[in-house]
Amino acid sequence: MEGNVFEALKLMCIGLATVFTVLLIIIFLGKLLVRLVNKIAPEEEQPVAKNAPSAAVDANVANAIALAVQQLTGGKGKVEKIEKL
Amino acid sequence: MEEIFQKIYDMTALGALIDQPQFLIMYALAFLLLYLGIKKEFEPLLLVPIAFGVLIANFPGGGMGVLAAVDQQVGDVVYHNAIRLADGSLWCNAEGIPYNIYEVGLPQIAHDLGIMNFLYYALIKSGLLPPIIFMGVGALTDFGPMLRNLKLAIFGAGAQFGIFAVLLVACNFFTMQEAGSLAIIGGADGPTAIFTTLKLAPHLLGPIAIAAYSYMALVPVIVPLVVKLTCSKKELSINMKEQDKLYPSKTEFKNIRALKIIFPIAVTTIVAIIVPDAVALVGMLMFGNLIKEIGANTSRIFDAASNAIMNSATIFLGLCVGATMTVDAFLNWTTIGIVTGGFFAFGFSIFGGIMLVKIMNLFSKKKINPLIGATGLSAVPMASRVANDIALKYDPRNHVLNYCMSSNVAGVIGSAVAAGILISFLGS
Repeated sequence: MEGNVFEALKLMCIGLATVFTVLLIIIFLGKLLVRLVNKIAPEEEQPVAKNAPSAAVDANVANAIALAVQQLTGGKGKVEKIEKL
Repeated sequence: MEEIFQKIYDMTALGALIDQPQFLIMYALAFLLLYLGIKKEFEPLLLVPIAFGVLIANFPGGGMGVLAAVDQQVGDVVYHNAIRLADGSLWCNAEGIPYNIYEVGLPQIAHDLGIMNFLYYALIKSGLLPPIIFMGVGALTDFGPMLRNLKLAIFGAGAQFGIFAVLLVACNFFTMQEAGSLAIIGGADGPTAIFTTLKLAPHLLGPIAIAAYSYMALVPVIVPLVVKLTCSKKELSINMKEQDKLYPSKTEFKNIRALKIIFPIAVTTIVAIIVPDAVALVGMLMFGNLIKEIGANTSRIFDAASNAIMNSATIFLGLCVGATMTVDAFLNWTTIGIVTGGFFAFGFSIFGGIMLVKIMNLFSKKKINPLIGATGLSAVPMASRVANDIALKYDPRNHVLNYCMSSNVAGVIGSAVAAGILISFLGS
């Protein structure tokens, strides 16, 4: 039984160390990939139309939110302002 | 006339039920799980098939219970992977020698032991379905939040603490293989728990799967409980967006789509080199994700992986796991040990993630909400949603969902890696 505890303790150290190592490598790999992709294959920016509507929320989305609020509150609630967080 | 009634009585399961009333406990358990799945909506996609599997496996004479392979000693000879039938006798060939289940063809298993044993040995015991489900999970996972908050992914490692902490205690009461299977419940990932148990202690599959999925369904109860015991109001009020404004990230993303396509390929390669035993899970997870991220060109196989294949796999996994829970396999002290140990594994995993956040907050100017550590265990995305709800209680503007998803998704990789380590060290 004592041998089991020793083995479990060994496994705990190796296991946690490996999980941390793998995730640390994934983090650094992710960062490296971000840099590489930014350098090698940056996406072409879409030109923004000058007269594009500047409303923060699309009219269809606003309607959907208003309808959902109306249904949930039984018609008592109304949407005054929609703000992106 | 009396003879006819006797035959009708013998045909039904009534006699066996009167002789062995413990079957009634299994029905009660099945009904309870069905109630939780249907009425309380606790993981219904899994609990309902599992519960129904429990139900149909426990009708005497029905032949739907999964028969576990055991090493059986007869005289001086040990027969490996022998099958003990419901009447207590061994499943033998014409010469009276017990079969080794792995040397028997599937058609014969279906013919002699019934369709449920055929499904179990073909789909579950072979280890096929958990990776298939992981492929579906990958197809439904978005690594975007993780890539945008890469540093938070480390909490997916902190939250694997519960696995190894419970292993340390459980090894005093179970064999190392059984303790490893029990401990993996702390990874909060059903397919991972099943995959590990199949490799280490297949005879415990039923109770471990039930415990894993039940605790996953209880995430809305367990996460708030551990958070309440370990975090202060001040810590839970840390607003991540405000912290981002105070200490903005220097990383900018010029082509997130390309990044999302390269990421699963790179992660699979790295994990395969470091922990080959985790590749079955991580590789399939990342493959599912890759076909999602490629987009229109692979949309047909993405659709199959995330819908038809995953749904079919879920049905058979649930039914077969439920069918392993026969009276003999479930009603014993081991099950109680698994249910108790599993709870602690789960709790300690959440605790581990929270503590890692607290330690990092000691050394960093940019503070992190401990809820992001709590979601380092898998249970995607329920753990993140629960953490977000807790954060909103303390600050209605503090939406932490995206941050939690980073550690949450990393937790899936972390638990699969932990499973790979357990299999590698404890597997035969």
